[in-house]
Amino acid sequence: MSQRSVLITGCGIVSAIGQDCGQVLDSLLQVRTGVGPLKYLKTEHTEFPVGEVKLSDEEMERMMNIAPGTPTTRTALMGMIALHEALGQAGLSREELKDCGFVNGTTVGGMDKSEQYYLDFIENDSRNAYINTHDCGSCSEMIADRFGRFKMITTISTACSSAANAIEMAADMIRLGEADIVIAGGSECITKFHLNGFNSLMILDHNQCRPFDAERAGLNLGEGAAFVVLEEAGHAAARNAKALARLSGYGNACDAFHQTASSPDGEGAYLAMSKALNEACLKPSDIDYVNAHGTGTPNNDESESQAMMRVFGNNLPPVSSTKSMTGHTTSASGAIETVICILALRNGFIPVNYAFEHPMENGIVPNMDLHKGCRLRHVLCNSFGFGGNDSSLIISAVE
Amino acid sequence: MIMEHKSVKILSARQISIQNPLSEEWMESPLSYSEDYVRAVDPDFKQFISAGDARRMGKLLKRALATSLSALQEGGIENPDAIITGTGFGSIENTELFLDALVREGEQLLKPTQFMQSTHNTASSLIGIHTKCHGYNSTYSQKGFSFDSALYDAWMQFRIGRIASALVGSHDEMSPVFSGFVRKAGHVKEGEICSEAAVSVLMAESGDNAYCTLEGVKLFDSPSQDTLKQVLADMTAGGIDAVMTGMSGNSENDSWYGFLDSMLPGVPQLRYKPLFGVNFSSSATGFYASACCLKKGGVPAVLSASGKAIECSKGILVVNVVEGRHYSFALLKPVCGR
Amino acid sequence: MEELILKLKQEIIEVLNLEDIKPEEIDNDAPLFGEGLGLDSIDALELIVLMEKNYGIKLQDPAKGKEIFKSINVMADFIQKNRTR
Repeated sequence: MSQRSVLITGCGIVSAIGQDCGQVLDSLLQVRTGVGPLKYLKTEHTEFPVGEVKLSDEEMERMMNIAPGTPTTRTALMGMIALHEALGQAGLSREELKDCGFVNGTTVGGMDKSEQYYLDFIENDSRNAYINTHDCGSCSEMIADRFGRFKMITTISTACSSAANAIEMAADMIRLGEADIVIAGGSECITKFHLNGFNSLMILDHNQCRPFDAERAGLNLGEGAAFVVLEEAGHAAARNAKALARLSGYGNACDAFHQTASSPDGEGAYLAMSKALNEACLKPSDIDYVNAHGTGTPNNDESESQAMMRVFGNNLPPVSSTKSMTGHTTSASGAIETVICILALRNGFIPVNYAFEHPMENGIVPNMDLHKGCRLRHVLCNSFGFGGNDSSLIISAVE
Repeated sequence: MIMEHKSVKILSARQISIQNPLSEEWMESPLSYSEDYVRAVDPDFKQFISAGDARRMGKLLKRALATSLSALQEGGIENPDAIITGTGFGSIENTELFLDALVREGEQLLKPTQFMQSTHNTASSLIGIHTKCHGYNSTYSQKGFSFDSALYDAWMQFRIGRIASALVGSHDEMSPVFSGFVRKAGHVKEGEICSEAAVSVLMAESGDNAYCTLEGVKLFDSPSQDTLKQVLADMTAGGIDAVMTGMSGNSENDSWYGFLDSMLPGVPQLRYKPLFGVNFSSSATGFYASACCLKKGGVPAVLSASGKAIECSKGILVVNVVEGRHYSFALLKPVCGR
Repeated sequence: MEELILKLKQEIIEVLNLEDIKPEEIDNDAPLFGEGLGLDSIDALELIVLMEKNYGIKLQDPAKGKEIFKSINVMADFIQKNRTR
């Protein structure tokens, strides 16, 4: 089978550090965190800093021209905003979408509404429309349907690696000729359900999180959405689409260790990164930057650190986690961080590991300098989900 | 684009559903129900799962693991190269416990185990942990299209050449509270049985005693009539004995399959929903039932719309239509030389 | 103290869903984690919830849990000294 090359011809993002690519770029260059006190979610747990998208549901509905009274969910709204930007960048019309695939990653789906209306679902019929917005698949449909009908739609739900896996699946479809364009990414809003869930696991930091710091104490939850338009190279050339970057490799492996903890030697992470390098026909020394999963939990950062040292040996490229700025956007993180990698590639800088101070013992020391003006050829982006669903993407510069 | 021909063997398939579990008794003596909400018939899980492991697992996870281990055992593979599952709602039992406590008692003293087991990918990762498989692992959640998506992904992994074997499954459970929700939302319709199912299918490039072969998988959202005609023509070019459908007896649901009458005239139609009920993993029971028919060389009367048994020598096309917009097609053929 | 120990064992069996185990089968001095009952980090979190819910003792640091949950006797002793309920 001849190798069909996968380009990225559009991207869109909404996050705690910006509501489009331009704003996110600015925040990254200013090293400005979006993590702060809770503002939008109505919860008792106001003690946890979070990376909320600085828009209310009502504001997002207005942005997306959603008719008042239409049942929507926060996850779907953020997804629409990001998809809108991605489709705009790629120059795709409504008509053209029927030849495009759509793969979304989410885990909470419409839980923000379900947790509000759960008792209504049981006791009366006033909120029945929101029963239909609860599950993951419905969320993806809401996002996609806002713009038109696609060739196919599906949803991946592998916790924190959902969006990364969505991008991998989309790329496979293109390589096999199932479609010439597949839009993939993820969306997740903060809900009381998982804020409390993570709290019950005692992995939330009560302060600004510090990935790879010796004194790190947990993660800060974030929310957001991002999509990339993946397109076969010949098809992109034929319609004069501008290539932003190339997806040159990717890998998915299972840690097979524990439901909520990563193995001490980071086996799943090591395998995912190795598979990605293998598929891209690249050596570790070809990688100029690693956007780590780097949640700030004692467990992940130790495990991922070990895995990276296994892959790169003594020649570790600059590594940073951007989760100290965006918060941990869970299912959306793989796509949000892919877009951050694209911005880094195209604008010649390396994102900083904000809030890092104290090096871990026997661990990696993350990047703290923007290296403006640098030339990045290949960037590795890691996303590791609960249950050991580990995925790595390699995004490369285009000439 | 010309697709290279690909064929993968279905080595084994197992179910826990409203029919007798881990068996093919349903083909000759199916259980029948008058109720419209029926829980699955569970096997003795102790034969697969130790008490220590089982203590954290809700029913969905036990069923996912039991059907997986049983399928792996029968198929003779310990470590599949890929584990890909689907679930429409995930672990409802644990989601409900956590959500109920959250809503009724507040945001304190919530249980981590319930939260941990509520994420959709818990089954895939649990199977990975149990079998110590470091291979490709993913989970799809697209309502009644979840299994179809998982199957499609597995099919792609084989075609790309990344894997030589895959465990593909779909698992959905129900609760009294959620059964009310799904009726209100129209996911389960008038005349349909709201049920539960867990199905695991082991497939590989090679292996003995295969049930049948998988020759193609296609997914669409809102395909045109021309697209449907083309797909059916391509996939039935070699001839088929019957088409397995998700018809249930509900007129709205069944209307989505009307195109088969005109595009595959005279091809016998089969129905699995009257036997296995309706849930987000139903399409997996249809795939499973088709594989069993090909293994046996015939479709039993209980599956056949006409009420007549049908011989199987050419193949079965498995068709699933969800909400009148998502269409999946999977072609199963008998193993050559049988 | 004996009453507390029995109650504690019953609560642990219930909360951790140790269906097949009876209170008399749990040795008061045997390790709860690793060997012995073979509990893990998730169980430790559940026991932290149990401590607060049933005895009003709030543990902020999960790492402390491993020391307190060393054995039934150690746990009962800690509860006796710190309970507010």
